Amino acid sequence: MADMTVEAGAAAPTTMPRRLSEGWFAWALIAPAMLFIGVIVAWPLAETLRLSFTDANLGGEHWVGWANYQALWDSSPFAQTIGRTFYWMVLSVCLKLILGLIGATLLNAAVPGRGLFRVLVMPPWVIPIAIGCIGWLWLYNGHFGMLAGLAQRWGLIGGPFEFLAYKQSAFYSAIVTDVWVGTPMVSLFFLAAMQGVSRDLYEAAWVDGAGRWYRFRRITIPQIMPVIVSMALLSAIWTFNSFEVIWILTQGGPRGATTTLIVDTYKTAIGNYKFGEGAARAVVIVVLLASFSLIYLFFLNKVNRKYGVK
Amino acid sequence: MKYLKTATLAAALLGGSALGAQAQELHFIMCGGEVRPADQTVIDQFQKDNPGVTVNMEAVPWGTCQDKSLTLAAAGDPPSIAYMGSRTLKQLANNDLIVPVEISAEQQALYQPGVLQTVSSGGQLWGYPHAFSTKALYMNCDLIEKAGMECKGPETWADLIKMAQTVKDQLGIAGIGLAGKDFDNTMHQFLNFLYSDGGQVINADTGEVLLDSPQTREVLELYKALTPLAEEGPTAWERDQLKDLFNDGKIAMYVNGPWGRGQHNADIHQLVAPIPHGPSGPSGTILITDSIVVFKQHDHPEVQAMAQKLAQALTTGAAQYDLDQSWGLTPIYQYEKMGIDKPFYQDDPFWQVFVDGIHTGGPEPLVVDFKSLQSVFTNMVQGVMLNDDTIDNLATKAGEELAAIK
Repeated sequence: MADMTVEAGAAAPTTMPRRLSEGWFAWALIAPAMLFIGVIVAWPLAETLRLSFTDANLGGEHWVGWANYQALWDSSPFAQTIGRTFYWMVLSVCLKLILGLIGATLLNAAVPGRGLFRVLVMPPWVIPIAIGCIGWLWLYNGHFGMLAGLAQRWGLIGGPFEFLAYKQSAFYSAIVTDVWVGTPMVSLFFLAAMQGVSRDLYEAAWVDGAGRWYRFRRITIPQIMPVIVSMALLSAIWTFNSFEVIWILTQGGPRGATTTLIVDTYKTAIGNYKFGEGAARAVVIVVLLASFSLIYLFFLNKVNRKYGVK
Repeated sequence: MKYLKTATLAAALLGGSALGAQAQELHFIMCGGEVRPADQTVIDQFQKDNPGVTVNMEAVPWGTCQDKSLTLAAAGDPPSIAYMGSRTLKQLANNDLIVPVEISAEQQALYQPGVLQTVSSGGQLWGYPHAFSTKALYMNCDLIEKAGMECKGPETWADLIKMAQTVKDQLGIAGIGLAGKDFDNTMHQFLNFLYSDGGQVINADTGEVLLDSPQTREVLELYKALTPLAEEGPTAWERDQLKDLFNDGKIAMYVNGPWGRGQHNADIHQLVAPIPHGPSGPSGTILITDSIVVFKQHDHPEVQAMAQKLAQALTTGAAQYDLDQSWGLTPIYQYEKMGIDKPFYQDDPFWQVFVDGIHTGGPEPLVVDFKSLQSVFTNMVQGVMLNDDTIDNLATKAGEELAAIK
């Protein structure tokens, strides 16, 4: 090993072939990563982009130029779907962040049985989403489900109520389930961040007479802000693309009331075998999410600077 | 010795390839999640009669089965043969994924009226009809009598509404179960009522879309009247779930196929009646078939030929009779013409209802995009159930949407 180092050190600065081989060596080092990104990310993306300019279906494909995008642009249901998707995302992410923050604060409190509570918060995140959603499907059933049963027993409703049968109740029921699925992870990340906050800061504030709310607002929140920022962005992307919850509960119905962009794309590309039109929708999703992420990061950088977070 | 070894190796290779040429594997996708014993018997016999032929059965639930077959075919790895809903045939045929079937003229003459219409497109037959159903109204007589009425099938829509209203008023439970979920049987239920009012969807001869019609509006009016009398939130229910409500005594009536009798609790005193007719036509029913299709095998014509042979074995004579009888299906053939003495449905009042409906029934429409067809109907039905739009608008939009996909 020592011999090799000496030899390389002696020859490298003077000879052209050695410099070339160093260049090749560098390319060889990054080649696996490039290959990985090319196969996993770049090629599918490029293929999706190509398909979006065709009318690909079960029988083959033909180049159609911008026709798929033009059809989306002219479609008012598609515009409604975009609006619904953002509403779904904003509402669900806000609820996850708020509940996640509350949950993390409670789990961080010095209460007896704290370890048990930390374990109990895990199941919604740990069990397969499909299984959890099927459980919710039963809860929402108006005739046999627990929610309608309890509501009737407590006199809140006069008879069975099908949560998934009406446009508004189906939408908000799907939100509740999505929040149920997504909150534990947010809680645990926030909890981990809270545990990293120095005790000295709290003790100093306490000595100065700062109350609990003040300490939470002026110490905890700024200290965990980078995690809040990261979780908000990740959660937004996951929620935007959340498919299983909606598909299992409502399949996008009734009358499209729970159809988000990802459900619409699935129905078009996989359900109706219109691969070209589906690809155009997928490209729109990528563009929207990328734009949203950039705008979001821009504003959050401002927020971070305000809180002094690097 | 060296020559001997070479000769042995060559013989082994030749023998192997000859064996390979004889051995054939048929991939059979069976929608419905199970292989019915009557079909399995035929398949076992087929393998015995054709040494070297192996039939690999893959039973897939209805929810994903048709998608699986279509996706495999689109990806260039089609199954050899599949049992699927006939509504998929036009889409498969238009995309050159399946081959026309070979049914002799004599055999064609034996099918019940309307059956072959469900598998024909462009002047050719694309599937071997293998399961046939008509629909009727199931009534829970215990509930209807408890509500103070005679348990007798309602003849008209007005009678149906009155009966459902009385059950609702007297017993406080749903008078009728309606299917309104995003599911194929929401469309089927609508078509039962449309065909019981003289309505049509697509003109079989001209291909003209006839959905935007006075009859469609009349059916939507019926739905509007029945929705408050139906189970809570019908847009969340499909037909198979209504069966559970019927068994639990939570709905007094609903529309189902002949298999419903075997799915209902034995202690329910049930009556089966023809679907009540509307103001513009006689009682009718939707005629639905599921078919066996043979997928195009570009590189393996011998597999394609063998698949045709298997499909014919499954759908002819005694084999089909065994399936219909054992599975409680509407008879797909006029078995009395085949010389079967006293077929299972003859002189049986229950079967009478399902067989009589055949003559006034209408087909499940064949279009190039069967999923979109379903969406057109569920959108319209849910629209009236949720009071989301006017009946006029719903019918007009449905007609336009159907014209765009046919």
